[in-house]
Amino acid sequence: MTTAPWICRTCLSRFVRPLARSNARFQSTRSSKETIPAGLLARARNIAIEHKQLTEKLANGFDARAAKKIGEYSPIVEALKAWEKANESVGELTSLIHDPETDAELRELAAEDLSATRATLADASQSLTTSLVPVHPFAHLPCLIEIRPGAGGSEAAIFAGDLLRMYQAFCNRKGLRTMLLKYENINGGQEAGIPLSEAILEVGTENAYGMFRCEAGVHRVQRVPVTESKGRTHTSAASVLVLPSIEENTLGEEDVDDPESDYYIDPKEVKTEVMRARGAGGQHVNTTESAVRLTHIPTNIVVSIQDSRSQPKNKEKAWRLLRSRVAQLRREKREEELAAMKRSVVGVAKMGRGDKVRTYNWGQQRVTDHRSGTTVHDLNDVMDGGQTLEKVMESVRNWLMERDVEALLAEESSSKT
Amino acid sequence: MPRLPTSLIRAARLIDPLLPLLLRPCRDLRSAQNELRWLCEHIQNHAGARNITERTALLKKLVQERSTGKPLQYILGTEFFGDFEIECRPGVLIPRQETAASITQLVHLLRKSKSLPPELRILDLCTGTGCIPLLFQDELSKHQDIRLELLGVDISKKAIQLARSNLAKLRSQGKPTAGNKISFMRADVLDDAREGYDHEIPKLMSALESQHKSSTWDILISNPPYVSPSEYWKTTTRSVRCFEPQLALVPPPSHGLKDLDQGDRFYPRLLHIARDVAAKIVLFEVADLDQALRVTGMARQAGIFSGIEIWRDDPGGSAELESTYASGDFPIVGSGNGRSVLCWRGEGAVWLGKHV
Ligand SMILES: C[S@@+](CC[C@H](N)C(=O)[O-])C[C@H]1O[C@@H](n2cnc3c(N)ncnc32)[C@H](O)[C@@H]1O
Repeated sequence: MTTAPWICRTCLSRFVRPLARSNARFQSTRSSKETIPAGLLARARNIAIEHKQLTEKLANGFDARAAKKIGEYSPIVEALKAWEKANESVGELTSLIHDPETDAELRELAAEDLSATRATLADASQSLTTSLVPVHPFAHLPCLIEIRPGAGGSEAAIFAGDLLRMYQAFCNRKGLRTMLLKYENINGGQEAGIPLSEAILEVGTENAYGMFRCEAGVHRVQRVPVTESKGRTHTSAASVLVLPSIEENTLGEEDVDDPESDYYIDPKEVKTEVMRARGAGGQHVNTTESAVRLTHIPTNIVVSIQDSRSQPKNKEKAWRLLRSRVAQLRREKREEELAAMKRSVVGVAKMGRGDKVRTYNWGQQRVTDHRSGTTVHDLNDVMDGGQTLEKVMESVRNWLMERDVEALLAEESSSKT
Repeated sequence: MPRLPTSLIRAARLIDPLLPLLLRPCRDLRSAQNELRWLCEHIQNHAGARNITERTALLKKLVQERSTGKPLQYILGTEFFGDFEIECRPGVLIPRQETAASITQLVHLLRKSKSLPPELRILDLCTGTGCIPLLFQDELSKHQDIRLELLGVDISKKAIQLARSNLAKLRSQGKPTAGNKISFMRADVLDDAREGYDHEIPKLMSALESQHKSSTWDILISNPPYVSPSEYWKTTTRSVRCFEPQLALVPPPSHGLKDLDQGDRFYPRLLHIARDVAAKIVLFEVADLDQALRVTGMARQAGIFSGIEIWRDDPGGSAELESTYASGDFPIVGSGNGRSVLCWRGEGAVWLGKHV
């Protein structure tokens, strides 16, 4: 497992591609994007080999797990193909240009082609990198944004309210479905216009967690509070917590054939034992033995049913029981993962307590994100949830992806030792 | 039979005073407890006992009967064949689970076929309780829109009566026998004259004709008597010997037939019939892998089949489904003891999903 922070691939594709193109434009400054780290390339090639083996396996009979894996790997395999093609073209063109045999006209043509092909290669490298970054398991989910004032008294509470309005405006502009699940002012009431004590905003749209999770952390404000009579600038903060909103598993017992369902069990992973008559069987004995025992090999869950005199009935019952036991285990595991995830999200926020993630400075009309190092100057547009806020969020997502790539590379090199 | 350990008997008595009696036929505590539970359920659901005293007395009586080795199936009057409850009576062999497993697997293969004809004719020789045609039609009609004609044949009057009663029960339960034609007929599958033989009983081929039955059948199934006299004494359990009809188990002797050949006696005849009725699929139950190999040898010699394979007890066994080749000859499918021989030819290959 990678320890890298996760990032939403759909957001990435939205935000990274234009970036790749701009890289091509400013090739002189960021030409490194054209290449792809050897470790990542090796990883992609290994996946392509596995993909091929799985495809062959699938040809010999349906296997839901293999089919699912193939689906996951396909984008990587496609991206690798595109990259290899572009890389080959660049190689061919370069050797053509350096070949003394090449006549001047052809060389010129090749040189022209080369810059376009380089741009394609840069694009392909970026896509390949993106496809390799594991998608955060919850990226596709809706999310909850929890906002609370931090240090700084009522000014912090006022700023917390500003942030809530900022996110609401942003969602509004982007057409994202929101619902204010909780709103409490410092008097414990719900009236607006009084400094905020806690708000929970649900963004009910798919992929919202992938989009907003980079907002988690301590947001710092530097301004002259309205309550300040002497005109001094104060520094206060509000904390933002972003959690995936996980509804109760919607796939239930009816979906036993859906590999996504908790109740799905691959028959190949179950050992069936019918307690047969000892010895010869057939006409030689007239046993009443009808017990059935099933073992789910991956989890080692065993169920044994002997209620009925009918073996098929016992088998059916045993399968039902096995399914619900396995589903129970999966739910528990998921809840554990979620709890661990929540702890780590809170951990990020805590890390931000000393280490704020973003500063909003009224005096300079600027917003700086301390992770991506991006500074923008249209503070009002940020607070209105406009394009400028989107730009800042995008910069953090890219920063997160770079961390993911680093983690992937670290993992790749450690798995080699 | 080895004596039961005293500790086991003592443990059983602590659970229920009637349990030690059931340990005798069951041999282990778990099965004994299951049987006691089934007997209690039976009394509560069916028997005419009106109050607790009567019920207790009846339970005690049934447990005592069972402890003599009388099959539970005869006491309760039914046995499950697949998930089908089949009526059982003394004098007719109790259907075995292994037989049901083979039939279920055969139907399973047919069900997957997309090229079954609109009508299929199935002949079951030595039908006993009629369990095979009844399960076959139930399992196939559930899933395929197909018309079936099924005929069960047995030499025993008791068997034919019971088979008809099972069919009637099925119809009264409103089970969909839909457009299917099911019938049972008394006839002798073997065609020689035997000692002490009742000449009232017609031979199969003439019975088919005189009763205006079809002379061609697509699928021939049989679970014939297949136990040789010496095996009968060595390998059958006491309960089988004392309570089930020998007619159903041991083929009749014939002049000059050795023990082993007597056990195999039905198969050459059945293969002959298979050819005469132009069967495209043939499924015979056998005693073990050795007999399976002898029968595959006969089937190959018959020279009419394009494919032959051997099935084990659990031919569709999920995790262990595998084919192994016996001495490079025929695939052996599934897990457990060698249990049946499957042969096919012509369209039969397509119906079974065998690639020709
Ligand atoms: C092993 S039992 C099988 C019964 C049933 N098919 C089943 O699987 O439970 C064999 C049956 O063959 C019948 N049988 C014995 N000799 C026969 C013969 N010569 N012709 C026709 N049936 C015969 C017996 O009466 C008995 O019912």
